[in-house]
Amino acid sequence: MKQKVLQVSALTKRFPGVLALDDVSFDLEEGEVHALCGENGAGKSTLIKCLSGVWPVDTYEGDIWVNTRRAQFKHIKDAESAGIGVIYQELALVREMTVAENVYLGNEPTNRLGKIDWPKVYADTQSLLEKYNLDLDPTSLVADLGIGQQQLVEIVKALLKNTSILLLDEPTAALTESEVDILLDIIRDLKNNGVTCVYISHKLDEVMQIADRVTVFRDGASIATSHIGNIAKAEIIRQMVGRNIDELFPRRSSSPAKPLLSVTNLTVFDPLENNNCLEGISFTIKAGEVLGFGGLMGAGRTELVMHLFGAFGNRVSGEVICSGKSMHNSAPIDAINAGMMLVSEDRKRYGLVLEKDIGFNQSLASLARFSQHGLLDHHAETLANKKLFKSLRIKAPNVESIVGGLSGGNQQKVVLAKALMTQPSLVFLDEPTRGIDVGAKLEVYELINQLTEQGKAVILVSSEMPELLGMSDRIIVLSDGKIGGEFVSAQATQEQLLQAAMSHG
Amino acid sequence: MNQTKLLRTYSMGIALVLIWLFFTVATDNFLSARNLSILSIEMAVTATLALGMLLVLLPGQIDLSVGSGVGLIGGIAAVLIFNHHWNAFAAMGAGLAVALVIWGLMGTLIIQYRVPAFIITLGGLLVFKGLFWKVIDSETVPVVAGAGDNALSLLTTHYLTPAQGFLLLAVIAFFVIRASVRQRSQRAKYGFELESSSTAILKIFVALQALLLIILVMNQFRGIPLSVVVLGIVAFSVYIITMHTRFGRYLYAVGGNKEAAILSGVPVKKVIIGAYVMLGGIVALTGFMQTAYSGASTTTIGNLMELDAIAACVIGGTSLAGGRGNVLGVLIGALIMATLLNGMTLMAVAPETKFIARGTVLALAVWLDVYLSQKAD
Repeated sequence: MKQKVLQVSALTKRFPGVLALDDVSFDLEEGEVHALCGENGAGKSTLIKCLSGVWPVDTYEGDIWVNTRRAQFKHIKDAESAGIGVIYQELALVREMTVAENVYLGNEPTNRLGKIDWPKVYADTQSLLEKYNLDLDPTSLVADLGIGQQQLVEIVKALLKNTSILLLDEPTAALTESEVDILLDIIRDLKNNGVTCVYISHKLDEVMQIADRVTVFRDGASIATSHIGNIAKAEIIRQMVGRNIDELFPRRSSSPAKPLLSVTNLTVFDPLENNNCLEGISFTIKAGEVLGFGGLMGAGRTELVMHLFGAFGNRVSGEVICSGKSMHNSAPIDAINAGMMLVSEDRKRYGLVLEKDIGFNQSLASLARFSQHGLLDHHAETLANKKLFKSLRIKAPNVESIVGGLSGGNQQKVVLAKALMTQPSLVFLDEPTRGIDVGAKLEVYELINQLTEQGKAVILVSSEMPELLGMSDRIIVLSDGKIGGEFVSAQATQEQLLQAAMSHG
Repeated sequence: MNQTKLLRTYSMGIALVLIWLFFTVATDNFLSARNLSILSIEMAVTATLALGMLLVLLPGQIDLSVGSGVGLIGGIAAVLIFNHHWNAFAAMGAGLAVALVIWGLMGTLIIQYRVPAFIITLGGLLVFKGLFWKVIDSETVPVVAGAGDNALSLLTTHYLTPAQGFLLLAVIAFFVIRASVRQRSQRAKYGFELESSSTAILKIFVALQALLLIILVMNQFRGIPLSVVVLGIVAFSVYIITMHTRFGRYLYAVGGNKEAAILSGVPVKKVIIGAYVMLGGIVALTGFMQTAYSGASTTTIGNLMELDAIAACVIGGTSLAGGRGNVLGVLIGALIMATLLNGMTLMAVAPETKFIARGTVLALAVWLDVYLSQKAD
């Protein structure tokens, strides 16, 4: 029997009106990767916050033992000195600083006068990077790194504090598949160096690959802990949602009708990068169709939908025709008026006014419909808001609940509601299921089906290939700003998509 | 709502009551009809400007130039009337036109050419002050040429007769009741929850009683000051704009998350320029009132008024980061700032102490709000 480095017994945490953790018990064996699975709101993040000292010891009931010593964390610092480090889904790096400056931020070695010993900072960072085989330059600016590399900086930062237990809260949510593979390799390296990892992810394929054991959470309770060899993916899903899910991707094909949007030979200039980020893109999408866009991070998928929506880049050449009208993509308002709507990949940055309520956000893009003689018709607006709130099954007390306090899945539903309220004929969904739980994902898929059955078209951008294959009718793979391949989903495989994604570049 | 949240919502109202209690005890005549009348005129000037400031703070901008603008626009009107013998209405119209153009230009520079509002309007503060002194030639220019009154001077010297005051109350009561009845029937039509009719009647009754009390007190002196009526119109307009128009909703959206607003089809540039143009109009109006209140345009008119306006907004719960704030809060904030100045003047407090006291109250108010909001979470 391996040594237990951490034990949680009968942990209960209450928020006003909510039981966030309900008598949770759970343990970590030295050097294992232990996955936590569960829908959003199941209690995983609350558990992480108890373990890392974000919630002080007197705000919950139950015991936490670290290496046979009872933990009494009052601050994050207490957890850090007990060897517990956390990597959050949202990165907390200073973009304008170098890798080494970020790694040592708050821990800068100084001489007696308070002058920072910069040579030591850079040398120690370098040796730490070498120890874990990380391919990073301590002097690069974090702003110049990709998301995946930034994640590595966070991990190095945690390792610096002699972390023996690393808690990773959805570390791969923003990563492409190749970046995920790198991260998984690093976790294996950490494991070989004796670091115990807790791995939270919605991506069960990763969990099956990397974890030794998995504990499933549902409604604040720990349902079961299993060795990964003794449990199938379908069983984990069943434990998470409490019911069987026969089909992960319930795409119901409808018969595509007339062409809705046609793009011919589109080349777009990116003024920030000072180069052409898209070159010679041509495609057509018909009403009732789901067109998937795949490709690696930086291949130009987001740039493409943002440009078509009038929110990014300068048109160098090419033509975009939507419902017979030529589009010049000068501003999102023109795109919305032409019947397009975008659901951005970054809902907090581009989708929501977090401090405002659900209703405010849902109707923001459709206010013209509720205005008469310049005045807003609050009643008609509220009625429309409540209708969508109900039909999308947003979990919140009412439409006056502040959006910032909702879970990721429910926030995403608010963004979707905003898009639906504009009554679009073409919807761009950019990573619509990123960071949301299995149940909410299924609802998003169901929504895609409903949209196409109503004769609307969906452009689906996704980094998850099973999702692309499962939910699209056709798939176009972008590679370095060009079309790398076009497939009929029913006949395509993940290998073909991956090959197409790396065909240019 | 928990207790802390309630306390936060009403904290500035409670603070106002405490400040009034303090001055009532500390001075002999704070609550006299004459002093309340003077206070209402002073508050009208501060609050009008603060409501304009609210329009640019909501979308996350700021304007430091309004104080100098108040002096400049009032000065233009006074010079046209006294030196060039213009009709007062024409002079005010000219001043208003200048203000709309200037603030439209500043708004354009800020959003079209991406120069931060802080810098553009800090420049405006200095430039307008210089222009102002050039316009009045650094002298004292009366608002009336010769004897008698004109439309400009009457802004702060005209009072409604008692009969007119009661008529005003009747008109307001009619519209408030009609709006309430309409709203209830609408809500019933859509099947929304209705508050009980007795609660609704009680609310309207209390509000009208409060209004009646104000009119009775004002009638004891000279009647409702015209400048208070002006404030009422401005406050009602800004309330309608912020709460009942698309433009108002966009102000909050731009301040809350500019990028999300752009992707929701909000015409951000138009919204920001529109907010500055409206502020320009209010600056002109405040310029006329403040200059009329002094009786003449002199180099000190408008001094530091931008800070009073920002302070009133912030005390009233407006966020300098944008996205949060409302008319009622700004009115309470302006009344607190005006009360402090008025009460300390009655107590014959030295000018240096007045500055220190006002600054301290501003800092305390914001600290209290931050403290209560953290406790509420």
